[in-house]
Amino acid sequence: MKKEAYLGVDVGSISTKGVIMDGDKNLLASAYIWTEGDPIGAVKRLIEKLGAQFDRNAWQVVATGTTGSARKLVGAMLGATVVKNEITAHAVGTTAYHPDVRTILEIGGQDSKIILLENGIAIDYAMNTLCAAGTGAFLSSQSRRLGIPVEDMGAVALKSAHPTHIAARCTVFAESDLVHKIQMGHTKEDIVAGLCEAVVGNYLNNVGKGKRIQEPIVFQGGVSKNIGVVKAFERALGAPVIVDENGHLMGAIGAAILAKHHDARKVFDFGIENVAFKTREVICGQCPNRCEIICVYRDGKLIDNWGNRCEKGDITARQAKHA
Amino acid sequence: MATSQKPVVGIPRALLYHRYAALWQTYFKSLGVETVVSAPTDRVIAEAGARAAGDEMCLSLKVYLGHVASLIGKCDCIFVPRIVDFGIRRVMCTTFEGLPDIVANVFRDEHLKVLSYNVNVQGGLGEKEAMIALGRELGFSRKAAKKAYKAGFAAQKAADDAAAAKAEKQYKAKGLKIILGAHRYVTEDAYYGRPVIQYLKEKGAEVILADAVERKSARRAARQFSPTMKWEVSREIAGSIAMHEHLADGIILMSVYPCALDSMVDDMIVRKLKDSGVPILTLTMDAQSGTAGLETRLESFLDILTLRRRAKQEVKA
Repeated sequence: MKKEAYLGVDVGSISTKGVIMDGDKNLLASAYIWTEGDPIGAVKRLIEKLGAQFDRNAWQVVATGTTGSARKLVGAMLGATVVKNEITAHAVGTTAYHPDVRTILEIGGQDSKIILLENGIAIDYAMNTLCAAGTGAFLSSQSRRLGIPVEDMGAVALKSAHPTHIAARCTVFAESDLVHKIQMGHTKEDIVAGLCEAVVGNYLNNVGKGKRIQEPIVFQGGVSKNIGVVKAFERALGAPVIVDENGHLMGAIGAAILAKHHDARKVFDFGIENVAFKTREVICGQCPNRCEIICVYRDGKLIDNWGNRCEKGDITARQAKHA
Repeated sequence: MATSQKPVVGIPRALLYHRYAALWQTYFKSLGVETVVSAPTDRVIAEAGARAAGDEMCLSLKVYLGHVASLIGKCDCIFVPRIVDFGIRRVMCTTFEGLPDIVANVFRDEHLKVLSYNVNVQGGLGEKEAMIALGRELGFSRKAAKKAYKAGFAAQKAADDAAAAKAEKQYKAKGLKIILGAHRYVTEDAYYGRPVIQYLKEKGAEVILADAVERKSARRAARQFSPTMKWEVSREIAGSIAMHEHLADGIILMSVYPCALDSMVDDMIVRKLKDSGVPILTLTMDAQSGTAGLETRLESFLDILTLRRRAKQEVKA
């Protein structure tokens, strides 16, 4: 009899994360790769990596959870038993390792969020609204401008004793302010440190606005790998900020735990590496709303669709009726 | 305009239509004036509005202009009231002060005939007199116009009372109760607001519209948040939230971009309720068609409310 394991997959705009866990929150396998604008291909590579890391004769994946912005697509692909939003998944994942956490700060590639918890339960949260100001995308575009690899920015920032003040309210203003400060002769170290502070200032003024940030504080998402931003948070909040070594996997871990707690069970087949998945966009012509419907095909067969505002656009159901 | 050649009046199903549908419909019906109301907002209407509108206009005004465009050719004139205020600190958004002029200017090449009535209480013009004047303009006697207004007023009051009574009942429901604080033209819009309510209902939530409330009490209750807030509808929404927040599991403040009133009032509500412990989600709607971000926010908000409630029940048990 094989022991039960759970698969969690978190597909974000920039990176794709996956874990396989046993019933006691121990990681059997984990992988972190770039999405590169191709969630289907990324998930295939991810599954291949995960499958190679653990003993398939001893363990069997009995439930699968997906999260992240491509959770629906990947959920359909993997036959997920749970498809959950990334906020809930992150809260569940983080509290598994830090049960007493009160505040989760997260800055990812395109979005940033704050989750407040009490007794291990998320009680409030906020997400950046319409713009990606102060997220990883902002830091990486500025790193190119300054000619400093984004991975090195944190270390460079730590060398600065006088961070340059950079307008933090909006990325566009921050960028023009930055160009101006470079021309004025501020050093690169000071500017990079200023950028880290700008990211923090922006975060606290937007996402963190009006929220009561209490300790313990956990910081995760890609930007948490930047020590300059971590230190800037600690200065701004006047409190230690914890960065978990598995912080980048928390969404996937949360998805795996959610799959475990959910009743649905479906043995996962690692054979998907050889299955052809395709998506197609269809404009529904049934009414003036002209919904953009995404259809997912597995080896040429339609397995799921979404994007329709009403049942008229449910293509899977329509085909099932005609079949 | 003589009564013998009564015009067909086109009414855009947008903005204040959602607040005054009963008043307007009953009024025109009582006078025997034929009306045509535009269809519920769909993508074609929304896009036509966005094309006609200026950049700085709010999404709801853009939608309104789409409705006006859809009525062109289907009626003799477009009904666009000018509603400025109902008294001191009972002011409407300036959009409603300028609406007839905005419509006339945006569609100046179409030579639209705009039919209007002016409510400006601080300027000495109440709703009743304004609508009697409208009837006179349409060629009816003062008596007939007055009668039509009375019928319309009664119908609107009945509709408002029924909505408030329904909401009061909802506050006593067992399910997950969410107060939706938003202008009625946002919540009632078939393309933007309705899908949000639909989604929440499908997930089993009891969605209670904040503006379905006994208005006088709500205006008074709004003083708890701010004694000087001057916008009529914002006072109703904020006051209703002040009256009912202790009965709700969560509050969603939904506004359209860029709404000047909500940008201040919603922010104030969040700050004032910081210590109440009620989770608040603020949603800003823009013309973007993707619903993924919206769904993520709504789904996770519902998760939080469900978990909170479960934790509370466990503590009690």
